[in-house]
Amino acid sequence: MPNTVAQQPSRSKISVKDLNFYYGKFHALKGINLEIPENKVTAFIGPSGCGKSTLLRTFNRMFELYPEQRAEGTIALDGENLLTSKQDVALIRAKVGMVFQKPTPFPMSIYDNIAFGVKLFENLSASEMDDRVEWALKKAALWTEVRDKLQQSGSGLSGGQQQRLCIARGIAIKPEVLLLDEPCSALDPISTAKIEELIAELKNEYTVVIVTHNMQQAARCSDYTAYMYLGDLIEFGATEQMFFKPQRKETEDYITGRFG
Amino acid sequence: MTEKHLSSQFDSELNGVSSRVMELGGMVESQIHQAVYALLQFDTEAADRVMETEHRVNAMEIDIDRELSSIIARRQPTARDLRLLIAISKTTANLERVGDEANKIARMVKSIIESGAARQLPTTELRIAADLASGLLRTALDAFARLDTAAALSILKDDDLIDKEFDGFVRKLVTYMMEDPRTISASLDLLFLAKAIERIGDHAKNIAEFIIYIVKGADVRHTSMQEIESALQ
Repeated sequence: MPNTVAQQPSRSKISVKDLNFYYGKFHALKGINLEIPENKVTAFIGPSGCGKSTLLRTFNRMFELYPEQRAEGTIALDGENLLTSKQDVALIRAKVGMVFQKPTPFPMSIYDNIAFGVKLFENLSASEMDDRVEWALKKAALWTEVRDKLQQSGSGLSGGQQQRLCIARGIAIKPEVLLLDEPCSALDPISTAKIEELIAELKNEYTVVIVTHNMQQAARCSDYTAYMYLGDLIEFGATEQMFFKPQRKETEDYITGRFG
Repeated sequence: MTEKHLSSQFDSELNGVSSRVMELGGMVESQIHQAVYALLQFDTEAADRVMETEHRVNAMEIDIDRELSSIIARRQPTARDLRLLIAISKTTANLERVGDEANKIARMVKSIIESGAARQLPTTELRIAADLASGLLRTALDAFARLDTAAALSILKDDDLIDKEFDGFVRKLVTYMMEDPRTISASLDLLFLAKAIERIGDHAKNIAEFIIYIVKGADVRHTSMQEIESALQ
């Protein structure tokens, strides 16, 4: 029966300050302030439309693909403001990788799915590339299932395998942060369990941020949880504390299923 | 639980298990009353009734625990729902122990009556302590039903009164035993009775602590009165 859990023991990897986000005239994120701890798993929870995926997508400027969308404020990755950075956005996305809700394997072989991104950023020899592909597939807990069919198409894999392939692709370029947007919502419980195992494994080397509709998943696999509602960050804290004794009544109502 | 869940089934499960705890509490309370009545009136039949109730109390404890496991497995409760269920589990265990103490009193009363030695000994303090203990238990159950932390706090403070009665009674028994060694055997029986009553007060106190745990999320077991009061701020 824990009473209190210390907040923020580790260094902050992404520091969000006064972040406002607009879809055209719609104010989707309202003055968000948040520190994402390094080498921890942070989960964003909240009802549909609360802004959790929007917030996740600001972390690698994914929103810039759409002209009507703009972000104001600061999102500092290791101190550097991503929103005003002169860095090539492809380099930012190499540092801050992303995996989407639906598995999105490229229409190419399993091997090339992983090698494709690596080739953009690194000049590896054939044997180095083999090693990298094997390393990424092992990290993503997929190696034993695909080692004998690396030249087959990625789209021939099951949904859970495809999603692990996407995670392998994401980590092959060795990002610092991995963003997961509902990575398990299309998967069965066994594939979900494998990906949750993988998330626990990944946090030793990466900072992981996960958006999930599944509160039990947030409770199981995150160290910190942020609860969002209508574009506001309502509460952020250690996951254990959030699911045992949240500080805000709105959070408690949501996680206990009294939200209506 | 005033505010409702999206799932009304979940609400009715929580309300159901809460009212079972109250039912168990009522059963145990009547055991105490019967046991104390047996003690003060030297009534063997009342003592028998206490012992007959014991298996029903035990069966209900098992029932409540089964319901709790089922709710936890199917609902994955969090926050105040989780705290409520943990507190119910512990409260149930404490109530069952109160039942055991009442049973112990009933058994000792029978053996004292059979030995025929009891009437020369004082029972005033026992009656006072028993009234205090059963009053505390009733207050604890009421406070549990209403999740009333102010009442819980007053129970934690009042438990000292029983401890004081107990100490006074022990001193008095010692004087009896020194004056007339023939009373030693019956005095020891009364001492165990007093201890059983004192334990009932302790269980009421534990239940009061679980009420604070549910409402405030603070575990106030083994803490000072000062810390408890600051948790309730």
